[in-house]
Amino acid sequence: MQTAAETTEASGELDKLTLQLKWLPQSQFMGYYVAAEKGYYEEEGIDIEILPGGSDIIPEQNVYNGVANIGVTWVSSLMTYQAQGYELQEIAQVFQKSGLLLVSKKDTGISTAADLTGKKVGNWFGGNEYEILALLEKYKLDKNSDLELVQQDYTMDQVKEGSIDAASAMTYNEFGLLLESGIAKEDLNVIDMNEEGVAMMEDCLFVNSEWAAENEDLIVRFLRASIKGWADASADPKAAGEIVYNVDKSVSLEHQVYMAEEVAKLVVPEGFDPANIGFIDMAAIQQTADYLALYNKDLASTPVVDDTTFTAKYWEEATK
Amino acid sequence: MKDKIKNIILPVSFGILIIALWEGGVIHKVLDFKPFQLPIPSQIIKTLGKNFEKATLDTVTTVNGAMVGLVIGCLIGFLVAVIATQFPKWGYTGLTVIATFNAIPIVALSPIMNRWFESGFGQKVGVVSVVCMGAMAINAYRGLNDLKPFARDLMESYAATGKEVFFKLRLPNCLPSIFTAIKINVPAALMAAMISEYFAASTSGLGFGVKDNLRKGMMAMGWSYIVMASLVGIILYLLIILVERKAIKWHASQR
Repeated sequence: MQTAAETTEASGELDKLTLQLKWLPQSQFMGYYVAAEKGYYEEEGIDIEILPGGSDIIPEQNVYNGVANIGVTWVSSLMTYQAQGYELQEIAQVFQKSGLLLVSKKDTGISTAADLTGKKVGNWFGGNEYEILALLEKYKLDKNSDLELVQQDYTMDQVKEGSIDAASAMTYNEFGLLLESGIAKEDLNVIDMNEEGVAMMEDCLFVNSEWAAENEDLIVRFLRASIKGWADASADPKAAGEIVYNVDKSVSLEHQVYMAEEVAKLVVPEGFDPANIGFIDMAAIQQTADYLALYNKDLASTPVVDDTTFTAKYWEEATK
Repeated sequence: MKDKIKNIILPVSFGILIIALWEGGVIHKVLDFKPFQLPIPSQIIKTLGKNFEKATLDTVTTVNGAMVGLVIGCLIGFLVAVIATQFPKWGYTGLTVIATFNAIPIVALSPIMNRWFESGFGQKVGVVSVVCMGAMAINAYRGLNDLKPFARDLMESYAATGKEVFFKLRLPNCLPSIFTAIKINVPAALMAAMISEYFAASTSGLGFGVKDNLRKGMMAMGWSYIVMASLVGIILYLLIILVERKAIKWHASQR
């Protein structure tokens, strides 16, 4: 294994690497922006390019086709692709907890999931819906007859206007949007997927297995720099939010900082050693796979959870 | 007669050849696709068979919205053409306005109209209506006004009233143009309905089925919705041609 300095010296130039985000540039991905800003990738001999995501950008397809080398996606979504035959593997688990909530205004009277009967329940779909489906299953609610599942857009206007009774919201993004729009926390009911025991793993890093086999050293270096970035960002989310805001000003600085603070809680939950950022908890991955097999009946095959699909070897090398 | 048979056999055998090459993996080899990127026809059909009940429901949802929107759009378009014909001075402006609707891209229109209507059905009908208005207005206007030379002079020399000119001359003369407009509008209506579903809140319909499954990498399922959409499009088009044959037997295009 070469050290970073040796690699840089030997080649004299940086290795190009592209990272495909799952969504727009925002504090959800602050670790990578902090690492880039502070030069951690350069120190590892990497010239990083961070590609923003969007509603029609599918990280799994871009990484598989070689548009990007490394991608950020949700584990349940990655598993769906793996089950179809895409040779992709996870190399690190960035979020240790689910950030998904089901939020409703108090006046809709939804205080537990059982109250969802007859209501309009929103999600973004396209692979983001499995935790909600698991929740419904837990409360024996039929997704077709007991309530109406609707597609929600990327604002929270539908909740404010009342055209959706309960909407999906990430702790770090949409929930903040609702609060920022002037709705008081006391006026909202929140169902937390972690508390309900139906959490599935979300943001992770993954690669094309074939590409990975030829770039093992590069992956380790990327992880080392990214973990350093995430450690800094989680320790000082305010500064991280500012760094992200300077990259992309599409939302306010306050929102980026709010998001950074919430994301830090998912990357380094209470009692979690920051030295372990990116650790793949195979039990949590297995739970995600089990729920996925239960709630996506059209899956081509049962998700495989082993070291061909989820490998910790790069992470172990990077955190040595 | 011989030409007619040739006209059917050639395209059909070409279609069969393409499907055979696709099924046999030749297309995959040439373009370097994996089966999970482009599923083979037998797999698509198998997937469709397993999911047939839901796919049928989704198809009905989309077709209902498309057809109601088509009828409303065509009626409005026709009405505008009639007004422009009977009151040319100010009516023609309306025609111009409606015709410019044709230039609005559906992808821009859908997300906006989706906020006006609460139900997925209303959203679809709204978008489809707007899309269908222009073609009908322009075609019907042409049919109402491109009269045979001297036909109108003849009517007038018989002292025919404006009402008689309209019902006995303009309207029959307009029928072939109406069918042309409907033939343009049927595929446009289906397409508009599906695109509207991309942006709609509702989680049913062909458009949602295609989008959601392709996003999840479930290509065979996505393709099975594409197959349903194509089948519906072809069936509707054939229906229109059949009705057209009965309705305007006298027209040169039907001989």
